[in-house]
Amino acid sequence: MTEPALKLAQVEKTFGKVRAVDQISLDVGQGEFFSLLGPSGSGKTTLLRIIAGLETPGDGRVHVGGRDVTRLPPYARGIGMVFQDFLLFPHKIVAENITFPLKMQKLPASQKKEQLDWVLRLVRMEGFENRYPHQLSGGQKQRVALARGLVARPDILLLDEPLANLDLELRKEMEVEMRRFQAGLDIPFIYVTHNQEEALTLSSRMAVMHEGKFEQVGAKLDLYNRPTTRFVASFLGSPNHILGRIKRVEDEIAILDWKGLDLRIPVPSNAKNGDKIDYFLKHEKVLVQPLREADPPREKNRFECTLRDIIFKGQHSDYFVVLKNGEELVGSAAVDPQSLKIRQAVEVSWLPQAGDAFLAENN
Amino acid sequence: MKTFRHWHQNKNFHFALLTLPGALFLLIFLILPLISILVFSFWRTESYELIADWNIENYKTILGEKTYLTFIWRSLVMAVSVSLVCLIYAYPVAYLVAKRGGRYRLILVLLTAAPFFTGIILRVTAIQQILGPIGLLNMALQTFGLEPIQILMYSNVASAIGLVYLWIPFMMLAIYLSLLNFNFKLLEVAYVNGAKPWRAFLEVTWPLNWIGTAIGIVLVFIPTFAAFVTPRFLGGVNGALYGNILEHQFGATGTWALGSAMGVVLFVICLIFILIIWRTINLQRSGYTGEEF
Repeated sequence: MTEPALKLAQVEKTFGKVRAVDQISLDVGQGEFFSLLGPSGSGKTTLLRIIAGLETPGDGRVHVGGRDVTRLPPYARGIGMVFQDFLLFPHKIVAENITFPLKMQKLPASQKKEQLDWVLRLVRMEGFENRYPHQLSGGQKQRVALARGLVARPDILLLDEPLANLDLELRKEMEVEMRRFQAGLDIPFIYVTHNQEEALTLSSRMAVMHEGKFEQVGAKLDLYNRPTTRFVASFLGSPNHILGRIKRVEDEIAILDWKGLDLRIPVPSNAKNGDKIDYFLKHEKVLVQPLREADPPREKNRFECTLRDIIFKGQHSDYFVVLKNGEELVGSAAVDPQSLKIRQAVEVSWLPQAGDAFLAENN
Repeated sequence: MKTFRHWHQNKNFHFALLTLPGALFLLIFLILPLISILVFSFWRTESYELIADWNIENYKTILGEKTYLTFIWRSLVMAVSVSLVCLIYAYPVAYLVAKRGGRYRLILVLLTAAPFFTGIILRVTAIQQILGPIGLLNMALQTFGLEPIQILMYSNVASAIGLVYLWIPFMMLAIYLSLLNFNFKLLEVAYVNGAKPWRAFLEVTWPLNWIGTAIGIVLVFIPTFAAFVTPRFLGGVNGALYGNILEHQFGATGTWALGSAMGVVLFVICLIFILIIWRTINLQRSGYTGEEF
């Protein structure tokens, strides 16, 4: 078993009374693309800064490349980092910006040149060596910042919301590029973001962070499809939120009273009759179709409703329906040419297991 | 379209009009005296009278006689050392205020200007009260049976201390204003990329704030080079600087023409100094982006 590239053991950081990072342990292996996803204030940036050495943890150990760096200053850690607003040195040309880490290591000029050429090719910025940062576009600045992080072939590369300041189109393009850069390297990327789409697109594994703690760590598809906590279920995929009470439990299935409608849901752990339940249902799991006469299979949830609005998003559309109990659900699907019309009576249906049920917080 | 252009030209014209009072003031009180000094410097004085007898004898005297060159050299050494001391003292303070001053920043900066609330003579006299033979410092030493510190009494060192005290607020302010626009996060970038703190300072902080620092140096250098009040009060008999003998020409000796030439030499030396400093400034190397703010 090889050493993990990054190992955190019970890392903790408190600011005043706020526990920004609370008992975090984590292993990240060679060549992994690991995302730290969380809303702002969840502690993800603080955790990244602890790894970089820009903050000292109150407790716990940080190992990088098998070396305990907990007490080392940032300049002795051999880490690469890409910052949110690029933070290129405005008074240095592109080549000087990129070779800055090599200059600090006092590498001979020939080797500096070699590594500069390699990294310029990697980020496709050949020919820009002599420009000043203010002569570059946002995307180009991003590439230079990335090149500076990679040029010294660090043990790990930390990325702090690197795409947050780019416009949507450029972000999509850079997401693809990032994956390409990373795929060819052994260097693991630790990527902090509040944008779940970015995290889901880029990473192999990810952690969802909330109030200083890891809610769930694992492969991204596991997190998306099998959330283990209420927070992850409510966060990933921005699902429909259904709040109801358990009427009764039948084996694997519980009957949920949702403001007068009976819903079939998987039984949440530790749930009993009368408990308040949060049931999260992702948009793409809700099937919206014209009303049908035929009886559906009994195990499916199926409700008549009215189509309130359709929002066209290109590859798919969001269908807003109003149920008999006055509540609203959103379903999303590719646009059907014989599509539905607004104010038309429709039906929605889904399997109980399509959603995730948890005990509500204030039961 | 025509009306728009008309309005536009009009607007520029109005702005030009607004600069008129200032321009007039500068012309009358700065440019004209300078020209007259330049003219007088090529005349000669006889029995306290200026005679329009064009010659370059004054310059020959200043640049040929060892006495005058010595005084120029003394003032130059004084100006360079006082600028350096101000720089070394002011930088950390300005840095601390800009970085950690928080909401008290403005008050802290204004405090450094507090000595300006009183006149220069008063402030120099105050220093005399501390450094002089019967000053606070030496009195205290004598109370403990110690010898007074000779070098602090009526010497060039005493003058230097006074000059540093007088001009340090300018240096502070110039560096502080520069650091105000400095992105301290760039230092974190340097640290993560392997730079020790002193290296990060040399690679990032210093070059990115060089313009402000250079302005501070010029603002201290010039008044120090021309100083005459401070050395007269603190320098003692042997502490006269170039400014003192320059002033002397307009006073007791009444050699206005020679004094004017000395003034021109002073002006030229300051100009050369500014030019040297200006040559060290490369806008792009200072992080200047060409963007309008």
